[in-house]
Amino acid sequence: MASTKSGGPLTPAVLHILLALSTQERHGYGIMKQVESDSRGKVRMGPGTLYGSIRRMSEAGLIRESDKKIDPNLDDERRVYYGITALGQQTLAAELQRYRQVVAVAHERSLLPKVVGI
Amino acid sequence: MDGQARYRRWYRRLLGLYPRPYRERFADSMEQTFTDICRERAETEGRGHGGFILWIFIETFAGIVRERATDLARLTMARNATNVFRIVKYLALAAGGLMVAGIATVMVLARGTGEDITGVVAPALLFTLLSVVAAIVAAVLQGASHRRGRKAGDDLAG
Repeated sequence: MASTKSGGPLTPAVLHILLALSTQERHGYGIMKQVESDSRGKVRMGPGTLYGSIRRMSEAGLIRESDKKIDPNLDDERRVYYGITALGQQTLAAELQRYRQVVAVAHERSLLPKVVGI
Repeated sequence: MDGQARYRRWYRRLLGLYPRPYRERFADSMEQTFTDICRERAETEGRGHGGFILWIFIETFAGIVRERATDLARLTMARNATNVFRIVKYLALAAGGLMVAGIATVMVLARGTGEDITGVVAPALLFTLLSVVAAIVAAVLQGASHRRGRKAGDDLAG
């Protein structure tokens, strides 16, 4: 889960949302599209998972609602934008570092070519 | 009626199943996101996106179940735990009391008849003992829960 106290691994949904928000603030649909793009279409997140994750991440202090409300290209005032917090950035960095260590271990054991097929 | 408008109306109804605080905070955004998804799918796939819409409904319904379960767990753990333990304590005491009364009644009725009532009294005594243990455990947990609730309240106020 989006637990930051334990420092444990993040769920795929939380990781992808943090990644999507790492470059700029986005609204819900924007996050969905960015997650789809970042994962090359492999992760498909519906509104139930997305907003459930947003609630928990918001409570954990990883993201926050932004003051920015209207996308100039879209015309609905109900869109709420979300941004990553400093804690969210730290958590994302820690998670990516964990991934890097896992990949390093896999590389040392020559597992990458077999697993990834490189 | 326009297909998208119909889907949107159904989706709005589905969102009504979320817990109220969640609904008040996210329902509008979720409906807007759903509209965006429908619009995009309609543009890219024309009318053949019914399967995807169905997936969205199922996925959202799963989200509703998750949020309801979370709410229920929170309600039980944070707010009602003390009451639940209190109810369990009184139920256990009532069951134990009934058992004692039953044993006394059987003993009075059997007095002078020479009937062997061990087969009835022994299980009843065991049940009474278990009821007392359950009542004690519930009382201890009730106290702990009460103290936790008071501490949480103090933390919140502080």
